[in-house]
Amino acid sequence: MNDASNDVRVLVADDDEDILLLVSTRLRRDGFEIIEARDGDEALALLREHVPTVAVLDIGMPGLDGLEVLEAIRESAELAGIRVLLLTAKAQEQDVRRGYAAGADAYMKKPFSPAALSQAVRELIAL
Amino acid sequence: MQRGFGPGAVFLAGGVLLIAIYFALPTGTSADLIYAFLGLASVLAILAGIRLNRPDAVLPWMLFALGGAASFAGDVFFHYRASATTPSIGDGFYLAAYPLYAAALLVLLFRAGGHHRFAALAEAGIATFAFALFQWVALMHPVLSGSGSPGTRAVAAAYPVGDLVLLAGCAGLFVSPAWRKPSFWLLVGAVVSLLGADESYTGLGTATYHVGGPVDLGWLVSYVLFGAAALHPSMRDLSQPRRSAKLRVSSWRIAVLAAAILAPSTVLLVQWFRNAYTGVPAVFTATLAISILVVWRLTGIMRALERLRIRERDARTDAVRARERLAAQNERLREADRLKDEFVALISHDLRTPLTSIIGYTELALEEDETPLGEERRGYLEVVSRSSERLLHLVDDLLFVARLEAGTGLEIKPMELDLALLGAQAVDDIRPRAELRGLELHFDGDGPLMVEADRGRLFQLLDNLLANALKFTPAPGTIELRVSPTPTGAALEVSDTGIGLPPGDADRVFERFFRSPQAVDAHIPGTGLGLFIARAIVDAHAGRISVARRPGGGTTFRIELPAHLPAAAGHADPELVA
Repeated sequence: MNDASNDVRVLVADDDEDILLLVSTRLRRDGFEIIEARDGDEALALLREHVPTVAVLDIGMPGLDGLEVLEAIRESAELAGIRVLLLTAKAQEQDVRRGYAAGADAYMKKPFSPAALSQAVRELIAL
Repeated sequence: MQRGFGPGAVFLAGGVLLIAIYFALPTGTSADLIYAFLGLASVLAILAGIRLNRPDAVLPWMLFALGGAASFAGDVFFHYRASATTPSIGDGFYLAAYPLYAAALLVLLFRAGGHHRFAALAEAGIATFAFALFQWVALMHPVLSGSGSPGTRAVAAAYPVGDLVLLAGCAGLFVSPAWRKPSFWLLVGAVVSLLGADESYTGLGTATYHVGGPVDLGWLVSYVLFGAAALHPSMRDLSQPRRSAKLRVSSWRIAVLAAAILAPSTVLLVQWFRNAYTGVPAVFTATLAISILVVWRLTGIMRALERLRIRERDARTDAVRARERLAAQNERLREADRLKDEFVALISHDLRTPLTSIIGYTELALEEDETPLGEERRGYLEVVSRSSERLLHLVDDLLFVARLEAGTGLEIKPMELDLALLGAQAVDDIRPRAELRGLELHFDGDGPLMVEADRGRLFQLLDNLLANALKFTPAPGTIELRVSPTPTGAALEVSDTGIGLPPGDADRVFERFFRSPQAVDAHIPGTGLGLFIARAIVDAHAGRISVARRPGGGTTFRIELPAHLPAAAGHADPELVA
């Protein structure tokens, strides 16, 4: 296990409890410190509080959706450096393009391989 | 089946010949014999016509025959039993013929006139009353108020009355649709000859009549024409009811009606000018009768117009209602379409979300980071993993087909790409699965081989075909992807050494949900969507896909793609289209 990951904080936001647990469990195995959010508003509040290195955002969430949270991150001076990975069940190409247009660093469609997600998050941290 | 006019023509020619002989001969026994023979021949010709032509209605022709017989009887009495008394027995038979002829014409009119017969009757009535007024003022009144015994005067006036009755019937037929038939014209000829002769007989004065004179010509011609009319094949059509027949508005009809309506005032004017008998009560009676008939006819026309208007309004209401129904149906279709889209979205989201958990957690469980797994449990989890991957693939395929069926078609985003590079990537991508199954996998092709295509779709197509080949090839076997240039673009060939295709299935493998019985028997999993999707992708690229048996066993799929997409294909960026 990579101990250097220990002080790296990752925010995971998903309104689906099972997916949230899946993502955070897998990323905890990599040694990341995980902050969990269950909707967009909570995610934004926790982002402001902890300023993590990476945010894994679900797009379809109650309240602010993932794209709106992403826009808020890019507009805020202290949050702008956060690397964002969008995670969504919407398999439509428009969402990918909108996600990148809104400033996403990576994109992953559900269903996803937890190992691939972990790999993607590690690549974002290495940036 | 209509017979020819053969017998009728023979009869007509014979009649004309006999008439000529009649006038050539001096008056006497031979001439009288010919005259009588022509009357009898006319009756026999009518009876023969009935037998030959077999009309639907026999009655009018029997009435004509009866009228002819009465007339013939009149001839016999006139020539052979001439009596000095007036009226003679001959006059009685002659006058009896008119109502019979008129009845025959009326029956024909009622059968042939269809639903316009009342209109025809009204118009015939108008013409008849006008003619009656002329008859009265010009012929009957002078005869009746002239000299001679009352009997002589009555008989002389009776002939114009008979003509009137005949004319009424004729006029009725004239406005009916029967008037285009040859048989009708022969009948009209017969009636007109009869009328002409009668009018001359009364008008010139019965005393001036002499046997063998010009008046006889009219009567003889009328005999011959009656017979010919019955012998002509078109006599069948005269008595055939034609419900759909249209009442023609010809200028002839209008002219006759106008003349008839003007008749009373014309008679009044002419007689006043001549300082002769004006017959004001007769003029008034005729005017009254004509007016009543005109009003009757007008009422009928207005009612018909009203009916037409109502029918038109109903038709318009129906059309509006049909349009409303159509709009409602469209609305329902749109709603159904929307529901379908929602359903597609539901599959997309609600099926994929639990699959995300299943696939993700299975993978998590298979990672032996914390607790080691027993060999048996690992096997179970691998089954779950494979099955969930298959389920995901199925959901994706169904989603793809549902979008295709929704009519939105397959959108492609074309770009210039190297087909050789893409083929190599697809082969690399599937290699682990091929090795797992103990199959050899080859790629053959030299790049760059540029085509204009949608990278994602083409990759999906290659993956579909390679996975298909994998599925149908038992180990040990070989799968090969070949990429080569063609005169118009490029060709892709996926060959396998698998179980192959029965000859009949080659045409059907691209159908939606088609599954080869061989595949079903061998329990090879599948939905029958893969090749349907493959063809949809090839179609969207304006390409062609075909399947053939590979020599030595197995199958070869061949895809030909154009180097450049036609402007209409997909949603090509115009800048990319050469």
